[in-house]
Amino acid sequence: MTDIAAHSEADVVEAVRAAREWKSPLNIVGARTKRAFGRAVAGWGTVLDLSGLSGVVAYEPEELILTVRPGTKVAEIETLLAAKNQRLGFDPADWGPLFGASAGAGTIGGAIAADVAGSGAVRHGRVRDHLLGFHAVNGLGEAYKAGGRVVKNVTGFDLPKLMCGSFGTLGPLTEVTLRIFPKPPLSATLAVRDIVAQEGLALLRRVWSSPLDATGLAYIPASVAFAGLESGAALIRLDGAREPLREKVAALRALLCASDMREIEEGDALFRKLGDGAPFFGNAFDVWRVAVPPASTAGCAAEIASPFWYADWAGGMLWVGSDPQDAEAPAKLRAIAMRAGGHATLMRASEDSRAQIPIFQPEPPERAALTRAVKAAFDPLGLFNPGRMFEGV
Amino acid sequence: MLLAELDAEILARRREIVAALRSIVPDGVVADDAGLAAFDGDALTAYRQKALVCVLPRTKDEVSAILRYAAEAGVPIVPRGAGTSLSGGALPRGDAILVSLTRMNRIVEIDYENRCVVAEPGVTNLAITRAVEARGFYYAPDPSSQIACTVGGNVAENSGGIHCLKYGLTTNNLLGVEIALAGGARITLGGKTLGQSGFDLLGVVAGSEGLLGVVVEATLRILPKPPVTRTLLAAFRDVPAAGQCVADVIAAGIIPAAMEFMDRRCIEAVEDYCAPGYPRDADGVLIVEIDGIEAEVSDGIARVIAIARAAGAHAVREAADEAERARLWAGRKAAFPAMGRLAPDMLCMDGTIPRRALPEVLARMAAMAKDYDLGFCNVFHAGDGNLHPLIIFDVMKPGELERAEEFGAEILRLCVAVGGVLTGEHGVGVEKRDLMPAMFSETDLAQQQRLKCAFDSAGLFNPGKVFPTLSACVEQGHMHVKAGRIPFPNLPRL
Repeated sequence: MTDIAAHSEADVVEAVRAAREWKSPLNIVGARTKRAFGRAVAGWGTVLDLSGLSGVVAYEPEELILTVRPGTKVAEIETLLAAKNQRLGFDPADWGPLFGASAGAGTIGGAIAADVAGSGAVRHGRVRDHLLGFHAVNGLGEAYKAGGRVVKNVTGFDLPKLMCGSFGTLGPLTEVTLRIFPKPPLSATLAVRDIVAQEGLALLRRVWSSPLDATGLAYIPASVAFAGLESGAALIRLDGAREPLREKVAALRALLCASDMREIEEGDALFRKLGDGAPFFGNAFDVWRVAVPPASTAGCAAEIASPFWYADWAGGMLWVGSDPQDAEAPAKLRAIAMRAGGHATLMRASEDSRAQIPIFQPEPPERAALTRAVKAAFDPLGLFNPGRMFEGV
Repeated sequence: MLLAELDAEILARRREIVAALRSIVPDGVVADDAGLAAFDGDALTAYRQKALVCVLPRTKDEVSAILRYAAEAGVPIVPRGAGTSLSGGALPRGDAILVSLTRMNRIVEIDYENRCVVAEPGVTNLAITRAVEARGFYYAPDPSSQIACTVGGNVAENSGGIHCLKYGLTTNNLLGVEIALAGGARITLGGKTLGQSGFDLLGVVAGSEGLLGVVVEATLRILPKPPVTRTLLAAFRDVPAAGQCVADVIAAGIIPAAMEFMDRRCIEAVEDYCAPGYPRDADGVLIVEIDGIEAEVSDGIARVIAIARAAGAHAVREAADEAERARLWAGRKAAFPAMGRLAPDMLCMDGTIPRRALPEVLARMAAMAKDYDLGFCNVFHAGDGNLHPLIIFDVMKPGELERAEEFGAEILRLCVAVGGVLTGEHGVGVEKRDLMPAMFSETDLAQQQRLKCAFDSAGLFNPGKVFPTLSACVEQGHMHVKAGRIPFPNLPRL
């Protein structure tokens, strides 16, 4: 069977019904920028391409609501919202280039499927905190909807949460409604330099626990020296209108008593790069995202002892490079993450590695059974991206 | 609303069920009539039913043992926190075990370094804030019942409050849970990290109304308390002008901590009740609260005042001090008792509408009220479009309860018709169960029920809530059979 390019919900329904009939799985894709994220599975069936199922259905700036089809490019959405001084609250990261795809090509469907929250998620939450409703097609070939088109809704199960980060394994989305945020009038990024990890991360947590409402809190160690920050740097982004922002910066100085704190240019772009994983572009490391409680980050980073890492989300998210030749690294990383009460996700690795190393933290038996049952509730025949997250899911 | 017929087979086994529960929680079983009367409903007061038996576990292991027994014996369970649900989420059943979590009321850990609190399900919402406020933190979701309602209930109902637009609902402030599943096994979802691995099951557990499992521990995000909070009141001679003000505030990029609207009837009721000083000549008032650091709040308040005047507010008043601020809020918070004084019974409805539809919805509601011949008023979380019509009636007058329910149902159908939803924060429960088809197709509901089956294939958790029809879980074309019995034997089969 050749690729199917869907342009309407009816096309998707037809594709799923055909897949059912032929018992042939569907490989659901958007712009194909993150194809190398997930388990490498041999013999995936037919490509169901949703990039043509695109366009804005409704944008209501005063309701803070945007409804689009899944193939709409995130970059187009950001342009549309910027014209009304609004933005996507989860601060979308563009992971395409990490996998060798061109920048700015990813779709909103892909962003939801991979839960691509960037640096700003430390303040406003991840994609799952912003997807209000969706239309999709289930494994029975039925079009259905869930959630709603208003910002506050508890009617029925919150299926939109489940769709975020499910990598298409629960079915193709055909329409999504997102919550929108106002764009801050201004932002300032401040860097405290010459600071070692332990102290830099503690400093970020102090800001995180203050009412300054920081929208970016990252630490880059000296060994990475990204963007000319050669000596170990804690980065803090604050938002606001001119006067309030000035006061926030002053309050930050008072809070930290940091002598060497300077505002840096292009702070938004820098945070965006950190969210995108840009320090790893073009190098040979396997790339991991390790989520740990922020207070454990410095200890975990020391124990992992990678020469190449940085921390985002006030330390809650560690980006770690590991040597692809080091066969011990995956198990070691996972054990460290688990002891800290966190988990590790393998973002970038060779196809061979992704066929052998679990991509997501392996689940204990009861949880794994539930994962399989939830999968079957949406996709009883296992038609949607089978095996992309876990074997048999 | 029709409550389900009781399962005679379970009723016949009552003695043995009570004995089994006593062996699990010797000092925590309520089985006498007077004792069960204390648990016979929640804040949806029109519905009462005594549980088969009530059990009050103290530990996670006891919860697991109860669920293991319930699964083996094929007896349904209804989880209960403080019983403050406005939608009947904790309404007991005469043929089900009521599991009250109120004795599991310890705060397990306060972790300032990771900005979270780990609590047992029976801890009250307000107790979380009380435990951390000395260090300058608070827990953001603040349902109006926060003095009584519990963390477990908040998770089950995905509770909101007046600060949702800025700070989100429970689900956005919940980092993790430990949940006891059907059969008693416990799993942990999330933790102290921002984000979890695998499917976002934590996201579906929040707001699942006790249909998927029993939360035995929750990890909640705490926030640094904003140093400055200021509040203003804007009065409008017509509702569209107030609606315009709300739209303009949002369009200006301001996210207030709270933005509350009250209609004329509500203003009159609260002025008669506690005289908070709302202008009686207004068709609607807005209370707008901004929080943050000083300059941010001053800037926000100044802009909101300008926007309100431009939108046609005839009176704008900022609270000069904490006492006046408390007075402005006192009126809003008294809406319930103020209306309650006008009639013996009240229904508090809870729909969400697109904000722009407010004038239309209020006008149509006034027309409906004439047909139903009932008193009502509206409070509205204007920031997030969450509308709370309060309908007053007298249950002793024949037909009034039915009329009030039909009026409420028509309002909620209207909310859906203008692009909104049936419930913004109270949950579906039994109250809106039969209205679900107004918002969701059969296919939509069947998909949700398949998720339910993935967690609870025997259908033992909080049956009769949320879904208008119970469809038995089907596994490979066969009805699920547990302990030799099919679920809901008293239901007609397709």
